[in-house]
Amino acid sequence: MSEMLKVEHIEKYYGNKDNITKAIDDISFVVQNGEFIGIMGASGSGKTTLLNCISTIDNVSAGHIFLENQDITEIKEENIAKFRRENLGFIFQDFNLLDTLKIEENIALSLTINKKDAKEIDQKVKEISKKLGIDAILDKFPYQVSGGQKQRCACARAIVNKPKIILADEPTGALDSKSANDLLSLMEEMNQKMQATILMVTHDPFSASYCNRILFLKDGKIFNEIIKGEKTRKEFYNEILDVLALLGGDTRDVR
Amino acid sequence: MLGKLSLRNAKRQAKDYIIYFITITIAVALIFSFNSLAFSEDISELSQSMKYFKTSIMIMSVIIIIVIAWLVNYTMSFILEKRSKEFATYQILGIEKKDISNIFMLENILIGIVALAFGIVIGTILYQILTIIIMNIFAQPYQITIDFNLKAVGLTAAYFMGIFFIALLNNRRKLKKTKINELLYAEKKNENHLLKKSLGNTIIFLISIVLFITALVIIGDTFKDGNSVKGNSTLIAIFLTIVGIYLFYISISSFITKRYLNNKNRKYKKDNMFLFRNLTSKINTMSVTMGTLAMLFTFIIIGCSIAMLMNAMLNNEIEMGYPFEIMISSADGDFSKYKEYIEKNAKVKGMYEYEILKINETGISNGLKGTPFEENKWYDYDEVMKLSDYNYLRKMLGYEESTLQEDEIIVQCLRTIEKDFEKYVKENNTIVIDQQEYKIKEVNGENFAQTISFNGYIYLIIVPDEVANTLTEIDLEGESYNFRYKFVVQTEEKTDERFYDELCQFILKEEIPQTEIIDGEEIEYNLEISLGNVTTKGERLTQVKSFYTIISFLAFYVSLVFAIASATILAIQQLSDSEKYKYRYQLLRKLGVDETRLNKMIFKQLFIYFILPVFIPVLISIPAVFLVGRIFLVAVTLGDIALNIGIILGLLFLVYGVYFIATYVQFERNIKEGTR
Repeated sequence: MSEMLKVEHIEKYYGNKDNITKAIDDISFVVQNGEFIGIMGASGSGKTTLLNCISTIDNVSAGHIFLENQDITEIKEENIAKFRRENLGFIFQDFNLLDTLKIEENIALSLTINKKDAKEIDQKVKEISKKLGIDAILDKFPYQVSGGQKQRCACARAIVNKPKIILADEPTGALDSKSANDLLSLMEEMNQKMQATILMVTHDPFSASYCNRILFLKDGKIFNEIIKGEKTRKEFYNEILDVLALLGGDTRDVR
Repeated sequence: MLGKLSLRNAKRQAKDYIIYFITITIAVALIFSFNSLAFSEDISELSQSMKYFKTSIMIMSVIIIIVIAWLVNYTMSFILEKRSKEFATYQILGIEKKDISNIFMLENILIGIVALAFGIVIGTILYQILTIIIMNIFAQPYQITIDFNLKAVGLTAAYFMGIFFIALLNNRRKLKKTKINELLYAEKKNENHLLKKSLGNTIIFLISIVLFITALVIIGDTFKDGNSVKGNSTLIAIFLTIVGIYLFYISISSFITKRYLNNKNRKYKKDNMFLFRNLTSKINTMSVTMGTLAMLFTFIIIGCSIAMLMNAMLNNEIEMGYPFEIMISSADGDFSKYKEYIEKNAKVKGMYEYEILKINETGISNGLKGTPFEENKWYDYDEVMKLSDYNYLRKMLGYEESTLQEDEIIVQCLRTIEKDFEKYVKENNTIVIDQQEYKIKEVNGENFAQTISFNGYIYLIIVPDEVANTLTEIDLEGESYNFRYKFVVQTEEKTDERFYDELCQFILKEEIPQTEIIDGEEIEYNLEISLGNVTTKGERLTQVKSFYTIISFLAFYVSLVFAIASATILAIQQLSDSEKYKYRYQLLRKLGVDETRLNKMIFKQLFIYFILPVFIPVLISIPAVFLVGRIFLVAVTLGDIALNIGIILGLLFLVYGVYFIATYVQFERNIKEGTR
């Protein structure tokens, strides 16, 4: 397996000279191609900042981030948008579907942004929607379909572009447990069957138990790392709970 | 506490409504300044016709008040809808409905009072500017005085109090009737097309096109020339246009859907999908609003263009009809008393007496066929002038002199039909006078006092002096007077209205004989005919200037208010929705759309919104103005019509453009707020 994402000693500060907050304090890790990695931590631990830095929405104060050997911290401002639309896929907490567009068009959105040929767009949308089982609702608007179908649509949009890495920011945050379960199974499927590399930020141990590997952040540093390996999801889930208990101070986040 | 809360919320949303506030202020300023003009004594005393200025401003104000009332009511309901969540939250917290509606009223009254105050201050300045412009038109001296017309202030305040009062009552009732959950979910889903079936929409779309064409055909038929104008068919054409406009805007979304969203090649091209879905999602509210705006625009463009054409016609008629400062016709040829009086009372630059001869028809009037004057040749003689007289008059007017061989003549006609005559002469280049054939040497179209039957009516034949001396004149049976003797004067300074009045007084007073002997019978001299045979350019010009001023000022007043009201409604719709759009554009940015492309998309979206309601009006009104303009062709050319409509469209788009840019800037700011 090759390295997909390499994070090297990154730091991120907020505030002014007299009052510096270190949101990220020297974090390094590597994500392999085809991995499903989770980032956990309490509110304020720096996980969303980390995701924003990787997704080029925010820039780092120090350190480097490489995506397949390309240093994304060195990309010029005017090329960032291009980089983002060609290399990254996003799944957001509230699906971020556009109400004005049909399901089909929501999936096609990132392709039209990349100015792909109309025939190619149509073919890709049909292909991915069949794989994700939403080909029957392509002609509907988001408010006409269920929450689960909306997530599938959001996932389809994230992956249709064949991005190098899919970034998911608390994807289950706004869902009931049944829908959350569905979404996570889908992401697992995308990871296993379509070899998508996924980086998911969450504070929910149940969601995290679907990952291959989990990084725990505390106060901007990596506090711990656990790997699923051959464990069952149940065992892995308990292990996560143990680490969270060690992290302390935020047991109210543990369901 | 509630007051503070609401005020803070109002402040937060204020930036979206600043355009509305500015528009109301401009409207106050316009209404105030025009009412001040109406009450101004300086202006009503400028000329006799300026007394109509007041009446017409008052009538126009009613139309303008209706448009402003619509704008205020519309915007208020709009703000109410946008803030529905806020108001629902207050209600959930247990605040009385009555208190909430009071707060809402208070806010709006405050906006109204501030706008009124600002507007009156700006209006005072505007009033001064307008007065200076009018005084300049009439070439009168004017000193700026700060007079604050209390009547105008009172009237303006009363208008706006009425407008706000009605709008507030209306919205208070709306607020009272709605339930909390309605307020919470007031922000609706995508709207559906009014008609589900796309076939129905296509038919409606086609019907609207047919209606437009029918209306234009009716207009074309009705305004063939001045005699065929009928009120009934004009009303039918207006009615068809209105229905057509609404049908068009109801069905346009289905047309867009069909063209851009059902065809995958077009849909996935560039940013079509995103832009047109944004557009069609709001289609129902939009189609009615856009239809109304389009109707307003159509009437402004047609109305103003025709008003300006009337101005152009009046102006041209003066230039064509009154090239000399003073022109007098007489049946007896004795101008000595006039001469004496004029020399005493004006600085004379040149004067000339001459004769116009009437002969049997030569057939040259066939040249009028196909011109607007075809029906106007109701008498059966032609008029003739000597070459020496002609050349003298031309010299007085600063035109080049002409020469003739003894078998040649010249045709002098109105400028507007010079081309038609030239075409006619090309095919028929000779005429017969007294069994003698003459060649038509040239056709001249300079202004030569021919609209009022002074130097011939419409056209005149110029013959060499020796020919003129031997011509057989016709016997004018049945006509009591033959005003064959003419007297023209050019003065150093322009004559004015007072000069004309005094000249008339002089004529009426005794200087002119009270009786005259015609055919051996002594009959009473008709003084009115006598006065009608005396014209001065100054007096005519003053009359025309009054109409000119009234028409142009009213056109300016109405179209400006219509244009800003329409643009404001579009601006408010877009800006208050920018929260929604912020989310959409934010997503695009996350998905990797760069700033330049984002700006382009925002521009495109707003541009489509702003261009849609003017697109049909422009398409309809240009042919309509040309068709209606045909009745003015006696004194204007097609070029004049094109120029006038161009000026109106230019001014309209200037005002509209300013609003568009302001909306764009604010919209972009709203969308990029709080992001890097």
